[in-house]
Amino acid sequence: MASHNMTKEKWIELFSEIGLTEEQMHTWHRAFEKRYPDEHQAFLEWLNIPADDISMIRTESSS
Amino acid sequence: MFTGAEKNMYTIGRVVKRFGIARSTLLYYDSIGLLKPSGRSSAGYRLYSEKDVKRLALIMTYRDAGLGLTEIMDVLDSGNDTSVSILEKQLRDLNRDISNLRRQQQQIVRLLKNMGALKKTRAMNKDMWVSILRASGMSDDDMKRWHREFERMAPEAHQDFMESLGIPEREIGAIRTWAAKNSEQSKSK
Repeated sequence: MASHNMTKEKWIELFSEIGLTEEQMHTWHRAFEKRYPDEHQAFLEWLNIPADDISMIRTESSS
Repeated sequence: MFTGAEKNMYTIGRVVKRFGIARSTLLYYDSIGLLKPSGRSSAGYRLYSEKDVKRLALIMTYRDAGLGLTEIMDVLDSGNDTSVSILEKQLRDLNRDISNLRRQQQQIVRLLKNMGALKKTRAMNKDMWVSILRASGMSDDDMKRWHREFERMAPEAHQDFMESLGIPEREIGAIRTWAAKNSEQSKSK
């Protein structure tokens, strides 16, 4: 059981709410992946994202 | 005593096999009154009914959730309100354990850093986090807004997230109080 109810959708909503564009979110993933790949993985797991989706996100972030 | 009814009953061996638990565990559950088999075969062997088996399935579920046997008994034999409060307490305890583990994790990170041998920990800290937010073009104001929205949308996750960054308890408290106050102001305007 997760100790929080944060989800990927809510996280995106949070970022959109403060005015981040899709492109900025992509830049954010890229920076995350490039600087701290293991932590990027851990963060995506924290959001309870399924393993397949995580590897997809990470592949996209490293392009 | 059981004659025709034995067909619908489970022997202790079948229960052991089905649940993959030890025979001695079932005997112990019987002795403490957590799970008493409803019947006995003519030879005196324990027989579990469908209802007993369902109760055992629940016991296993609660055991997986980390409840102690006494608590499991309370949950099974009392009303919904008691169950909810027992489970809520368990959740609070787990959250506290997670916080403690996080503190230990951060402490080890500090120790390793001091030893000049920081290994891969997967633990982020505040500086790392801020650096990637900046890299994606967020200003200090944006980050403040992010805290406000985070607190408004998902206060527990906000707390959890900051703990995972190893931010000290006091600072987390201050950030959350500030965020809660300011998000109300911005809404009431």
